[in-house]
This record gives sequence, structure tokens and C-alpha cells, in this order.
Amino acid sequence: MKLKTLLCAASLAAIASSPAVAGKADDTFTWATSTEVGSADLFYGNQREVLIAAYAQCDSLIYRDPMTNEYAPLLATEWAWTDDTTLELKLREGVKFHDGSDFGAEDVAYTLNHIAAPDSDMQIRLIVDWIDNVEVVDDYTVRINAKAPTPAAFEYLTGTMPIYPSGHYDDAPEVPGAEGKTRRDWGAVEPVCTGPYMLTDFVPGESLTLEKNPDYFEGSPKGQPQIGRIVYRTIKDPETQIAELVTGGVDWIWGVPPENAEMLSDMPNLEVVSASTMRMSFLALDAAGRTGDTPMKDERVRRAIAHAIDREALSESLVGAGSAVLDSMCVPVQFGCETDVAEYPYDPEKARELLAEAGYPDGFTTPFYAYRDRPYTEAVLNYLRAVGIETDLQFLQWGALRPLIVGDQTQVAHLTWGSNGMLDASASTGHYFQFGPDDYARDEEVRDWLAEAEKTVDLEKREELYSKALKKIAEKAYYTPLFLYGRTYAFNNEFEYPVTDDEMAHFYLGRWK
Amino acid sequence: MLLYVLKRLAMTILVIAVTSVVAFLLVHLSGDPAAAMAGEGASAADIAAVRETFGFNRPIIVQYLDWLGRVLQGEFGRSYYLRMDVGEVLAERMPVTATLGVAALSFALLLSIPLGVAAALKPNTLIDRFALWLAVAGQALPSFLFALGLMYVFGVYFRILPISGGTSWVHFIMPSIALGYYATPAIMRLTRSGMMDVLQSDHVRTARAYGLSPWRVVIRHGLRHAIVPVVSLAAVQLGFMLGGSIIIESIFSLKGIGYLAWESIQRADIEVIQAILLVIATAYAVLTLLADLLNAALDPRIRIS
Repeated sequence: MKLKTLLCAASLAAIASSPAVAGKADDTFTWATSTEVGSADLFYGNQREVLIAAYAQCDSLIYRDPMTNEYAPLLATEWAWTDDTTLELKLREGVKFHDGSDFGAEDVAYTLNHIAAPDSDMQIRLIVDWIDNVEVVDDYTVRINAKAPTPAAFEYLTGTMPIYPSGHYDDAPEVPGAEGKTRRDWGAVEPVCTGPYMLTDFVPGESLTLEKNPDYFEGSPKGQPQIGRIVYRTIKDPETQIAELVTGGVDWIWGVPPENAEMLSDMPNLEVVSASTMRMSFLALDAAGRTGDTPMKDERVRRAIAHAIDREALSESLVGAGSAVLDSMCVPVQFGCETDVAEYPYDPEKARELLAEAGYPDGFTTPFYAYRDRPYTEAVLNYLRAVGIETDLQFLQWGALRPLIVGDQTQVAHLTWGSNGMLDASASTGHYFQFGPDDYARDEEVRDWLAEAEKTVDLEKREELYSKALKKIAEKAYYTPLFLYGRTYAFNNEFEYPVTDDEMAHFYLGRWK
Repeated sequence: MLLYVLKRLAMTILVIAVTSVVAFLLVHLSGDPAAAMAGEGASAADIAAVRETFGFNRPIIVQYLDWLGRVLQGEFGRSYYLRMDVGEVLAERMPVTATLGVAALSFALLLSIPLGVAAALKPNTLIDRFALWLAVAGQALPSFLFALGLMYVFGVYFRILPISGGTSWVHFIMPSIALGYYATPAIMRLTRSGMMDVLQSDHVRTARAYGLSPWRVVIRHGLRHAIVPVVSLAAVQLGFMLGGSIIIESIFSLKGIGYLAWESIQRADIEVIQAILLVIATAYAVLTLLADLLNAALDPRIRIS
């Protein structure tokens, strides 16, 4: 009896003191992931969660429709290259920032010039390094002067590049740096934008709250916001996320483990959907011999490795729903990603033959480096062992592995790459084969094709160059592409939004059923 | 006594200094902090820029002295990741861990001392067996499993307690029980054995012979002596809890310092790691000192020696 009274009291107290709960009833959509968000500014917080929030909160110059992958006007209404390196954009009139100020050319020039500056500490240099400077032509026209022809510029100007009001970073705090010097902490400034939702509360590492912008401009390709409030919460533990989802404390989670997906899909109040992502899993083999004399320099050994791994089993049984086998060193949704390349079907017998041909009839032992998802790495190692390749696994934190990669020390590394969400092959293939610190292939021909592709504005010509490069990469088996990560989403089935293949959650398109 | 306190204080400071040096070295030797901070997609130039900005290119001893100099001026630095001053972050997160630690220890003491006393008074009875069972279960059950079990029963099935977060006192009920239960077996077994020894001692027999009420004998003449080692143990347990329970805090999504330390190590947020270590080392040292002083107050024999 006493216990019952106690429990009753506790439950009353819980009801009385709980904050607003999630759900349709109070028009609050709560989503949770395990990441801690340190900066709400996308330029300084390069995380998927920040990108998701930024799409809802901010507008960029160009919008890429997540369903069709077509570009649509957002803050810019028209754009054109006036010569090889000059991009002129006409801007939308009558748009207001969430702080009430008017949007115009000054704001675009300010934002882009700020982040493109070499000392901006901006985290994704790739999307700004092409900008030389940005000029105001008139109140609603800007001119971007590129350092070189940049065919991927439109991609860079989409959702990953929100526009802030002029003077936005003036309040950035001055904080102590090394040796008694100070530095400006730009990322500490909360973003002010023009998007369909307004940032109303941000607690670093804990939560981020967006509310509907009642004055969002008509005619935006993002449509008008439908949900009253969108709340992000960090919940580290996946079991806890599931418990919250099941009881309605949270409306959306991702990364549901395969063993839980089935259980959740049986729940009457939930919907479970899987989709692929842009994160590639692959082996980087030291074909160039950066580590010294290694078996990886032999093409037959590299082909043997490719034949030794059952990538289909890996993708389907281990990684699970949403995952897909990867044949080429790029993500199929990316522009220029050639998928019609040499394939290496699972054939351990052939792998052994190739090894014998290369002079390793009894296999060999090699150091093997990895940093993420140990079970996937272990599975790959088992396949290699089966054909006689013994490995000495060094499983490290990224911060420890990266210097080894840069320092010519990894003969074989099991790596992953998310292309920073860019839908252009320059962000994947371009990253690994242009003699940068991550390039263990060092093929001059491939490098030149890729360099040419990055400054060719003619789309067909560009595609052709990427195709040539990717075919050669596969032919020579420089790297062993394994699979694309999948993601399983589980959410309140009263909520409706398009689940897309870009590892994004376009919540601003969501509504209650 | 004063000399004793001063000696202990000097020792405390030495312990803290050594801890901070070791921690500093470990963080720097376990990988390039600049690479971890710059993130996965960073180019070599990005990493070099981070190294420059945060001064990682200097000799490690210079970096340490630079940090130490600032700490001595009360400047704990800034979390590069959370983009807040470390002092601010700790002010936000310490109360969560302190509330959890104190509540968990209170739960552990309230459960284990009465049970330990009862088991000692009636050895080899049902109550003693129950206490033993509870101790074994508490020791054997991993805390995450117990926490998830609680969450399932009270959060998912009955839906009477909130599952995650720390916005009200109700949110602390399950985490405190989960964390406190872990400390229960040790405290209970110590209380039981202490009580059994004391109850057989001459002065208790004398007190009984005087015809004092049984409760007075148990509490005043028995427990008071038996509890001396329990106080030391409880202090150590509290120190452990104030260090933050990474597992309990992350399961219940409580933003305390244990969880913060874990996350900070993952992202090489060195100034946060250093500050948390200072706090934890200090808490341990101070609590141990307090326990000794409290014991001295409870037991005149310690005071005299």
C-alpha cells in the first residue's frame, strides 16, 4: 500500500514538473541523436545535426530540392557565370532576417567574405576556398569573383552556406589563445537567419529549440513552416533514445540498430524507414609505396584483397538496412560518380591465385589500421585471413590515426568518408586522388583528370573526366570500396516528412498528419 | 592536530599537481590533439592552422606551464568545442553531478545501514539472508543493466518517472537509485561486520548489564563505534560519485561532469579535461580529509593518536 502511494506521488510529481512533452498535441516535434552540438553555426559546427537545424533555420542563396536534386532559387532568384570566374547573382527582395532587419546584397557579401577569409577558422574550407572575394553590385545584386573556374560552385552555395546579416560576427567574444594572445571565437555567436524556423534557445551540448517563423517569405521552395516548435536534444545512449521514442518523449531518432528496428516497426505509434547515406567505407591500400616496400604496391595483391571480401554479405547482414555495396570510390548520388567500373566479385579462390601469382602463395602479414565501427573491421579481417593475409590490427582514435596517415605510415587502413555532404564527386574522389596527404594511390594521370574536371564548367566534359578517373581507379584496384553506410530512422507516425538518401532530415518539410 | 592537517593539505596539493601533469601528458601522447579537434574532413593545412591557434606546436612543457600559469590566476581557459569558458561549463554541470552524488549516497546509506544493523542483530536469519542476497546482487549486476531495468519498469512500463534529462528533482530518482545501489553492498557488509564485532565487545555487554534500553545500546554504544570505517568508505564512494558516473549520466542523459569528461576526451577538449581532473582530484582529497576528521570526532582513540 505504501509503495503504491509512493509511486502515485512520484507520478504526480513527474507530471507536475515535466517540461513540455513532445508530440502533435502540443505542436512540438522533438528529435534526438547522441551527438553533442557545440556550435549552432554551421560554419563552426560541422555536424549533421547542425546541418539539419541550419536547413530549417537558415536560407542559402540556392536551394537543392532533396527529392529531385534540382537547383531552385532561394535567396538568389537568378544566377549566371558572366565569365569563367565571375558569378553574378540577383537576390530576392522583401526578405527579412529573424531580428527584423532587411536582407540584401551587403549581407551576402559580408557573410561570404567573412568565412572565405583565411583567418575565419571556418571548418569546411572546401566550400569557400574557391572564393576570391564578393562584391556588392547594387542593393540586390552580388558578384562572386572565383579564384579559378569552379563548376561545383552552385553546390557550395546551397544549404551548406547560410547567409547571416551584415555585422553578424561583431559580437564574437575575444578569448584567450596560446602564449597570452587572444583569438575571436566566431562560432560562439548564435546564428541569425531568414529561414522558416527561428532559433529561440540553444544550450551547447544539450539542446536547440526552433520556432515557426510566422513571417517567412511567400514563394520559398521550402514552403511555409507547419510545425510550431522543433526541439533538438542530445541523448547519448541508444537504449534511452528508444525508451523515449516508445513513450512519446521524443518523436524522431536515427541510427536505430538492426536488432531494434524490427521491434520498433511493430509498435503501432511508430514508423521505421531505412535509407542509404553518403558515408563510404573502404580500404586505403598503399599502392604508391608511401610506407616503403609493401605488397600493396603489387596490383595483383590489391585485386586479391578486393576479391577476398564478400561485400554483399557485409553490407546486407552486418551493416543492415539502408546499406548498399560500393563499387566505385564515390557516392552514386554525387555528380560525376561513375558506377560502371571494374568489379571484383567475392571469390576467395581467385584471391589466393592472385596472391600466389604475386609471389605470396602462403599469404603475408601486414599492419592494418582502423578507427570506426570495430565489428565491420573485424569482419573484413576475417575475410582477409581466409585467403592467407594475416593482419596486425591497430584500432585507434581518429586523432591518433590521422597523423599516421599523413606521415606515410599506413599500409592498409579501413577508413570512412562522408564527403561533407557534398553532392559532387570532387568531394569524394577529389579528396583521395589528388596527391593530398590522404592519397595513397598517387597516380599522376588520375590526378590530372581530376584537376581538369574541377575547373571544367562544361558538365558533359566534366562527367567524362570523372568517369575516366574512376574507371582507372577501379581497374588498378587502388582502394577497395566496401559499402555505403545505411541509416534507419524511427519516428512518431503522426509526423510526415520525406526520408531522403542524403543523410539529412528535412524537418522544415514536415507536418503532422 | 594542526600539523597533521597541514601535512595532509600539502599532500593533497602534491597529489593534484601530479594528477594534472600525468593527465596533460596522456592527452598529448594519445594522439595529435590538433587532428582530433580539426575533425575528420580536415586537410593538412586545417590541422596546421589549429595547431598554430592553440599553440600545440610548442614543446609540451611550455604548454603545460602556460596552462598552469593561467590556472593559478583563476583562468581555466575555454572549451574550444562547447565555445564557453570552462568555469561556465563547470558551473552548469557540477550541480547536476553533485545532486546525483549526494542523492545516490543518501539512498545507499539509508538502505544499507539499517539493513546492515538488522543483519548483525539477527545473524543467520531471513533478514540476514536477504541482506546478503542484496549485496551479492548489487555487486554482480552491472550498473548499466540495473539502470536499464529501472528505466524499463518505471519509465516505459508504468510510465511514472521521466526517462532522461535533469530538469527537475523527479528526473534524479532513477539515476540516484541506480548509482547508489552500486555502493550499497560494500557499506552494508562493513556495517554488519562492524556491528557484530561491537555487539560482542565488553562495553556493550556492560551497557546491557546496566539495563539500558536495547535501542540505546544498539545506536549509542554499538553503531557509533561500528560506523567509523563506514564513514571513510562513504567518503570514498562520494568522491567516486562526484567524479561522475559516466555510465549512469549517459544512460539517463544527465549533463554532469562524468559524461562531460568522457565526451571531452573523445574530442580532445584539453582545458575541460584538465579542469575536471582538478575538480575531481580536489574533491577526493578534501573528502578523504573530512572523513579522517569526522572519524577523529567520532572516535577519541584516533584523536589522541
